[in-house]
Amino acid sequence: MKHVIIGAGAAGITAAKVIRENRKDDEIVIISTDDAVYSRCMLHKFIGGSRNVAELSFIPPNFFEENNIRWRSNKTVTGVNIKEKRIVFNCGKCGKQSNESYDRLLLATGSQSFFPPIEGLRPGPAVCTLRDLSDAKKIRMKADNAKNIVIIGAGLVGLDAAYGLVEMGKTPTIVEMGQHILSANLDPRAAMTYQAKFEEAGCRFIFGNRVKSIEFDDFGTSGTIVFESGDKLPTDLLIVAAGVSPAIGLLKSSGIPYNRGVIVNEYLATEAEYVYAAGDITGLSESWPSAISQGEIAALNMCGIKSVYDDILERQNTVNFFDIPSLSVGRLNPEPGDVVHIREDQQRYQKVITQNNISVGVTLQGDISRSGFWQYLIKHKIPINNAQESLWKTSFADSYELDANGEYKWAK
Amino acid sequence: MTQRFSCTTCQSADKPLERFVADLPLETSFHRVESQEVKCGFGLQGVCCRLCANGPCRITPDSPKGVCGASADTIVARNFLRAVAAGSGCYIHVVEGTARNLKKTAKSKGRLVGLKALDRLCAMLGIEGADAHEKAEKVADAVLTDIYKPLFEKMELTQKMAYQPRYKLWDKLGILPGGAKSEVFSGVVKSSTNLNSDPVDMLLHALRLGISTGLYGLTLTNLLNDVMLGEPEIRLAPVGLRVINPDYINIMVTGHQHSLIAGLQSRLTSESAIKMANDVGAKGFKIVGCTCVGQDLQVRGSLCTGFFDGHAGNNFTSEVILATGAIDAVLTEFNCTLPGIEPICDALLIKQICIDPVAKKANAQVMNIASPEDEDAILKEITAAYKARRGNVPLNLLPNHGNDNTLTGVSETSLKAFLGDTWQPLIELIASGQIKGLAAVVGCSNLMGAGHDVLSVELTKELIAKDILVLTAGCSSGGIENCGLMSPEAAELAGPKLKAVCEKLGIPPVLNFGPCLAIGRLEIVATEIAEALNIDIPQLPLVLSAPQWLEEQALADGAFGLALGLPLHLGLPPFVTGSPVAVQVLTSDMKSLTGGHVLINGDAAESATMLEEIILQKRKDLNLP
Amino acid sequence: MKRILIDAEKCMGCKNCSIACAHARRPSGSLYDIALSDPETESRNTILLDGKKQYKPLFCRHCARPSCANSCMSGAMVKDAKTGHVWYDRHKCAQCFMCVMNCPFGVLKPDRATGKYVVKCDFCKDRGSEPECVKNCPTKAIHVKEVD
Repeated sequence: MKHVIIGAGAAGITAAKVIRENRKDDEIVIISTDDAVYSRCMLHKFIGGSRNVAELSFIPPNFFEENNIRWRSNKTVTGVNIKEKRIVFNCGKCGKQSNESYDRLLLATGSQSFFPPIEGLRPGPAVCTLRDLSDAKKIRMKADNAKNIVIIGAGLVGLDAAYGLVEMGKTPTIVEMGQHILSANLDPRAAMTYQAKFEEAGCRFIFGNRVKSIEFDDFGTSGTIVFESGDKLPTDLLIVAAGVSPAIGLLKSSGIPYNRGVIVNEYLATEAEYVYAAGDITGLSESWPSAISQGEIAALNMCGIKSVYDDILERQNTVNFFDIPSLSVGRLNPEPGDVVHIREDQQRYQKVITQNNISVGVTLQGDISRSGFWQYLIKHKIPINNAQESLWKTSFADSYELDANGEYKWAK
Repeated sequence: MTQRFSCTTCQSADKPLERFVADLPLETSFHRVESQEVKCGFGLQGVCCRLCANGPCRITPDSPKGVCGASADTIVARNFLRAVAAGSGCYIHVVEGTARNLKKTAKSKGRLVGLKALDRLCAMLGIEGADAHEKAEKVADAVLTDIYKPLFEKMELTQKMAYQPRYKLWDKLGILPGGAKSEVFSGVVKSSTNLNSDPVDMLLHALRLGISTGLYGLTLTNLLNDVMLGEPEIRLAPVGLRVINPDYINIMVTGHQHSLIAGLQSRLTSESAIKMANDVGAKGFKIVGCTCVGQDLQVRGSLCTGFFDGHAGNNFTSEVILATGAIDAVLTEFNCTLPGIEPICDALLIKQICIDPVAKKANAQVMNIASPEDEDAILKEITAAYKARRGNVPLNLLPNHGNDNTLTGVSETSLKAFLGDTWQPLIELIASGQIKGLAAVVGCSNLMGAGHDVLSVELTKELIAKDILVLTAGCSSGGIENCGLMSPEAAELAGPKLKAVCEKLGIPPVLNFGPCLAIGRLEIVATEIAEALNIDIPQLPLVLSAPQWLEEQALADGAFGLALGLPLHLGLPPFVTGSPVAVQVLTSDMKSLTGGHVLINGDAAESATMLEEIILQKRKDLNLP
Repeated sequence: MKRILIDAEKCMGCKNCSIACAHARRPSGSLYDIALSDPETESRNTILLDGKKQYKPLFCRHCARPSCANSCMSGAMVKDAKTGHVWYDRHKCAQCFMCVMNCPFGVLKPDRATGKYVVKCDFCKDRGSEPECVKNCPTKAIHVKEVD
């Protein structure tokens, strides 16, 4: 049987590995636009110069040989023919169109950067996003001589770019429509810690001022950002980090139904026979662990081992800039009826939101030691154990059980 | 619900204090409890032995004996005896210093404030002299001669001080102490590597240490201080952080040796001292009471007006008092002087002065206090600290903390005088059942269990609700007074009968005898009441509790309580539960020896019920209703 | 695979396991000279207390389905198919601490001294013997056993 996987990210690579673990002799092909396997979450370290391309990899160097996987890199899939069980792709080098047949197909293309509808904003020499290694390379190259680096969007990707640039010795200006940075990742209090650090490092933030238009010169190498307030900001490197959306372009005329992402059932199968999907393209979650888990489940189903994808999806993320770690799971801000518990000092900030004694959100900053149980409590809606005199003493201890193999399990 | 970090174990019976601590920008003992929460079970049970290079040995089912062959019983008894010996040593140091101060004062014809106390003491000890100074010197010599005796010579004042039925029993049991210092010495030797292995012998030795600690370290220290510093007088006084007045140069005192600052304290209101203070912009000098020496100032407060406004707090309140920023110097002469005050003093530029090197803090300046010049030098240092820090260090006061009407100045003498120079009214109230019995709630505060002062305060509330009159001495007093239980209004919290008594007499249901040293005063009260009734002390409807005992000294106090034949309640076990023999002797067999026994319970309501049952049984045995 | 099995009822909270673990990372020296207040002296294991103050030893389980490895985006945290253990390579680690967040039992933590790597049990694999924690437990509350 021949398995074709589109995408060499977390979901695709995991799927290939799991297929190999279960089907020793099946043929496995990975097709990717990327010509390197790397972790997107580490691209800022490439910009900052602390890692080279090889150091961005999340797989062992001999991964493809050892697992007998054929990797066709630098090839961009443009279409899927589900009747003929073939995919069509362009060769990145020669531009030639070619195709590859499959018995089982996994769509694991991930997501792509989103360009907000701003007048005058279009790809050009001074405009970048930060999604792929090629983007990071472009930023690193352009930033060297750029005087006025502007980042649109103060989410995790925008700040990753900013952090990499700070490490290069640059001081970008970050433009954010909202009122604080990392609004999808942290509450205002925790976000402020990082904002202050970025400002200390020379960065400038512009909040709540919508970009009306961008005017580039004829060469597209420098331009002016015009805000609705009338303020203007010159730029010779503009990084657009306004969000991402599932990379579903290749499905346009395939007949495989999609909404925001491709539609999958509990086996991660699309509505087209033999076609599965995993990772960001499903639109189920944008997290790394979800991509890994979906890659694994999809692969098992591709091997004929019926497996249900039953991850409990809960917003979660970690942030680590300037050696200040943070994590947040679930709600960032309370809803009516919630109880908020906060404790803090100069170095640490911890917030737990509960609803009827069940934690629905946690934000930890500064000290995140041995705190993983919160994520489990929130996902599984386990009530805070009242045996402890304080909510802050919550731990696995009050649900401590071991199974016959000596693994921990949460007592009911 | 925002709280400062790491303060999940900041619980205190004193809620305003708890909130204040939670918001402090400085680390205190409260903050460190959480990171020390996982206790070693071997240590808790007293079965870790570090007496030799083969150790540390711990007792487990697979290793029931140490390498040397010591059983859990031997290891526990050795550790326990060492602790009691050390605790006794502390109190004997205190009485030794106090007696030496009295001798020095007498020899130099210095001021003796409590002449009546001197006469009573001379009568008790059978000492005569031509004048007060001669009498005082002879008293001091008698005490010093006794505590310096070798182990094999019994101390002579024991018989004069102790209640005779007790003395006879102690003699019969062979636990009459030799020289108090030698008893400590012997306890240390006995419990050293591969010497004594007899748990019962070592526990009996602890009783000998208890007797010398109680009669000398506690009782005599009070009585000697009464001669030098004057006697307590019953009055109402302010307590808590409210006593701190930032307009003055404030000196926080920690320790147990009030007589060391007898000269200094009278100097504080002198013209020259006030001028010194005025010159740097302060109104004068004030001593802010903290720990037991603060309690001692407070019980003698009628004689300390002008330089002492009240007791601010007990052992674990000391860091908090400093954190107000209004203290300019800490004057240290003994425990409880927590190492935790050091970084706070450093951060807030508070001068640390140590006047007895046994309590030397790392950053403290040791200053001898032998002459008026020495006292001047100390005041100069403190004034310089005031000048350097005020205006540069933020104030963080808690002016509403505590209360203004805590009854203080209670002693065996002042209480008896209050009752009409006889114990008869109290005896009648007990006999009629208006007062069900007496409970001495003494000892320290610790931060274990429910938190700072929590068990002391809650147990006291439970006891008074059962019409049991509570008498306190030690850091327990500090917590209980700050929580308002020593104010006349606290009668509301007493049971109906005790409440009626309190309202009639205008007293609170909890009588504050002051420092832990005053456990000795409680012993005199017990002795005199027993004498009046012609019964032995264990027959009295009297129980002893050190609900939040903290330190080795408390264990020595506890040993005194057991020697007196009292039921002794503790909130936490004294690191002995790993030994079946120690547990059996302390909780049960002791009854047939001295009449006393240990009971351990960390729950206020349960403990109060247990103590009430004991009192009811004793009443029954005395044919009281 | 080999796993450290735990009998929590035997735990006496003495923290011998913790000091042994911290010591196991040192190139030389002995328990006599380990700098106990140095932030570098860090143990992979710890002992929790439940609401009844019972000791609950917290040791990495090298889970069959390790959430830490599954959340690792740098390849630093990897389940070894042969031994079953989850190995961690601090040189690969990108300090995202997703593993800390995703360990359902709260075993993992960033190191205290630098915050640049994850403190994670390595089964004392480089010492060629039983894990030091197991060797140093006086009550045998932990022992190594071959499990499925």
